Amino acid sequence: MDVESMTTNDWLGVFLAVAVFIGMIYSYVMVFRPANKEAFESQRNMALDDDDHINVGEKR
Amino acid sequence: METSPAIPVKYDMEVVRWFTIMAVVYLVVGTLIGVYVASELAWPFLNFDLSYITFGRLRPLHTNAVIFAFGGCTLMSTGYYIVQRTGATKLWSNGLAWFTFWGWNLIIILAVITLPLGITQGKEYAELEWPIDIMIAIVWLAFGFNHIMTVSIRKTSHIYVSNWFTMSMIVMITYLHVVNSMAIPVSLTQSFSIYSGVQDAMIQWWWGHNAVGFYLTAGFLGIMYYFVPKQANRPVFSYRLSVLHFWSLTFGYVWLGAHHLQYTALPDWTGSLGAAISLAMIIPSWGGAMNGMMTLSGAWDRLRTDYILRFLVVSLAFYAMSTFEGPVMSIKTVNALSHYTDWTIGHVHSGALGWVAMVSMGAIYHMVKKLWKTEMYSDSLVNVHFWLATIGAVVYVVAMWVSGIMQGLMWRDYDEYGALTYTFVESVSAMHPYYAMRAIGGIIYNLGAWIMLYNVVMTVRQASASRSASPVPANA
Repeated sequence: MDVESMTTNDWLGVFLAVAVFIGMIYSYVMVFRPANKEAFESQRNMALDDDDHINVGEKR
Repeated sequence: METSPAIPVKYDMEVVRWFTIMAVVYLVVGTLIGVYVASELAWPFLNFDLSYITFGRLRPLHTNAVIFAFGGCTLMSTGYYIVQRTGATKLWSNGLAWFTFWGWNLIIILAVITLPLGITQGKEYAELEWPIDIMIAIVWLAFGFNHIMTVSIRKTSHIYVSNWFTMSMIVMITYLHVVNSMAIPVSLTQSFSIYSGVQDAMIQWWWGHNAVGFYLTAGFLGIMYYFVPKQANRPVFSYRLSVLHFWSLTFGYVWLGAHHLQYTALPDWTGSLGAAISLAMIIPSWGGAMNGMMTLSGAWDRLRTDYILRFLVVSLAFYAMSTFEGPVMSIKTVNALSHYTDWTIGHVHSGALGWVAMVSMGAIYHMVKKLWKTEMYSDSLVNVHFWLATIGAVVYVVAMWVSGIMQGLMWRDYDEYGALTYTFVESVSAMHPYYAMRAIGGIIYNLGAWIMLYNVVMTVRQASASRSASPVPANA
């Protein structure tokens, strides 16, 4: 690789590519970590539970 | 979910109702124009030698009507609906929401006026001239700011995944629209892109594919993750998978645009990168489709009687199919056959008619019942619409698959002397039956949209009549 000829745009691209790669790794680890399973899956019902708000009254 | 049940939640749903109605109106109008332009390709005399209604001018009107008018109104209605309900709060600003409603509809009217007049920037899916581009940026930012601020004042501890998808769409479409629309104006109705040559092509398809990725996919996945569990009355199959789906899609989609420019002046590696990431995207896309499908575990029998759920499930099947087909088409060897042919049109419409529109229809039917606190005027008509939409989409897509592959094979066929076997006009002539078949598929699909409009209007009228007869207010 010809590092000498790398432009600012090239370095920016490299930085973004590496940052996105690390971000992907982080998100996979975060999601699949057994300790986090309960916290994530506790939100499964969130869409269903919003009917409870209706029952306590809302604007016309 | 942590809520405060003692505090009544007051929602701002009137603006949602109007966005919903307009979405259905634009579905009818947008697909009707599509049928007309498809018919022009099959029977060119339909141009009637009027420049205003030639294919070149009506085609962008069709794409703008279905993507930005129908799709935009659907995204804004569902966006405002979901963010309030999952956040247990009303909108941050109802006035700003009404500004987005009138602003967005004004933009649509300006598109209807300018595009048939031939006033265009000539950039696919970004044809509107610079003053309208600025209006789009302002209205879109107003929608985005209102949505994000509503998230910030939510009464729940968690931000539901649908809102993440919507916010991802808001951020990325702002960025894409502004960068792609950079132009030097020379008059009120004419401007030139600040990019030129291959850079212009690269920016164009960076926008073009990410409009598909973030507007037509992320935005509508937000709809899917809310309305599939709601309609099935089942929790999301795996919330962890939905989070992974979100981050994988958000990180990955921005890299794909160059796969639209294989075998062009663009550096070869960019197309290879686009194709490689496209193939990688099958994993989160199919994971998301399976997540939606598996949400129905234990409730599949409901598909026999719940016609709205049918829309949502079939949309997921189309989502899975088109997110497999797209990466395959991005591979260079397949792209050599498929590019510039009707196969691409078939692929786009399996995503548009099958995924985007079907998930929207399911969501709109669901919302209409909730927003007007009533049952549908006719469940049978919902079922009729479902079958017309499904059959229409399949007829359209199959016609374009056959037409496209035949085109590709005819264009690359050589005789023993190395000369082309077919002239271009022979390939055009061979397409005629499939163009007629495509128009018929479109007519079937459009007929379903008219039925939906009739059913929704009658449902609203029924709800209004019921309200008039009863003092009980209709709540969203």
